[in-house]
Amino acid sequence: MYGRKACQLVKEFVSSDSGQLIVFNNDLFAQVIEECDGHLLQLQALLRKMQVEGSDNQTTKNADHFGALVHHLSLVRNKRCLMAYVHNRAEVIQNLGWTIERVLPEEIEEKLNSSEKEYFKNHSATLQSYMSDLDLDLAVDMVPPKDPYIKVRVLEEIGNVVLSDQLANLARHAILFLRRTDAEQYISQGLMEELTG
Amino acid sequence: MESGSGEGTGGFSAMDDYETLISTTDADLLKRSWRNEKAAPEILQFESSLVQRSREQIQLMEETVEEFMKNGEDPLTVSLYQMDIDRTLFLLRSYLRTRLQKIEKFMFHIQKTADLWTRLSRQEQKFAKRSIEDMKQHLEQSVLTKLPDRYKSHLKQSVISEEDDMVMEPKLDAFVICRTRKFLGSLPVDDSGEENPLDMYAGDIYALRYKSIKPLIETGQLDLV
Repeated sequence: MYGRKACQLVKEFVSSDSGQLIVFNNDLFAQVIEECDGHLLQLQALLRKMQVEGSDNQTTKNADHFGALVHHLSLVRNKRCLMAYVHNRAEVIQNLGWTIERVLPEEIEEKLNSSEKEYFKNHSATLQSYMSDLDLDLAVDMVPPKDPYIKVRVLEEIGNVVLSDQLANLARHAILFLRRTDAEQYISQGLMEELTG
Repeated sequence: MESGSGEGTGGFSAMDDYETLISTTDADLLKRSWRNEKAAPEILQFESSLVQRSREQIQLMEETVEEFMKNGEDPLTVSLYQMDIDRTLFLLRSYLRTRLQKIEKFMFHIQKTADLWTRLSRQEQKFAKRSIEDMKQHLEQSVLTKLPDRYKSHLKQSVISEEDDMVMEPKLDAFVICRTRKFLGSLPVDDSGEENPLDMYAGDIYALRYKSIKPLIETGQLDLV
């Protein structure tokens, strides 16, 4: 049936957890593209045939006319599905740009195709350039602040760092009381965790 | 602003005055803009002077805090100031962030709608332009170049389409929760033709379609929550 593969592609995206990516389905994607080419060939063949027969596609409503229409609509549907697949994935990638800066962790990177990798690079550069225009880092402060200081545990060795209000030794397993804005970047990189309660 | 006190039901008037009093501070204005922006499905007018003022205030407060620290002021006072800065900063960041996320989502729609485009700040326009470039390039590389000639547009499904039918638009008829700031009288909130005017008193909370109350939000008579 026409359009079934494209539909599968979209369903595959929908069934994945929101905000998570699964490996780009190159195989199915290529098959849908192939299907599109197939539709075009048949569409053109029908259009040619109609031209040869001299029928006007505004007035004659014969089998060829509707055949052509079905191929056209299948093509459009496939296009919408492909675009939806790529666009929805791109939205997830946009969100990544907010949480991770510049460098993608390997486990995510291997799920993207080359164009998506490029898109991530370009888009996060765009985001960074907006922030530097404004001279304001928008990637911190994701949750409303309760207290200027939070208690954190260092998960990975970071070493001596100059923070906005102190010089701290962020050794592994150390439990510290830091400015939230200082700690947030480390938390989002997974180097620290916030201790609550 | 002697709003509400006459028309509103008696119990609210004291609160109204209090609300109008505190809503004159920039922090509160920022909070309002931020809430509206968060709840509205489409992008709203950029509050450029408010953002500018808030940033100046934050800077001023940061300087004050530094001075306090140098002078050995009571740590509690410093901490309270710091908390205030942090909150204002959060509002500001979240406000700008929400706007960027809307631009990311509806970039093609915003670009082709002049009315929406002018609502962006200069930096946001730059951001939108670059985002559109990035996205277009990505879509072209992955899908569009592989499709037949007449189906290559990223705005139209095919060359036959008269309108741009591939562009994602915000759902303006989505329901939003809103609170009236002052007595607004009866309002035709339904365009279904049904006679269903709503008496809107100050401080009342309603769930209405965004489309029907859009002008009231723009003029600040109604807040989204």
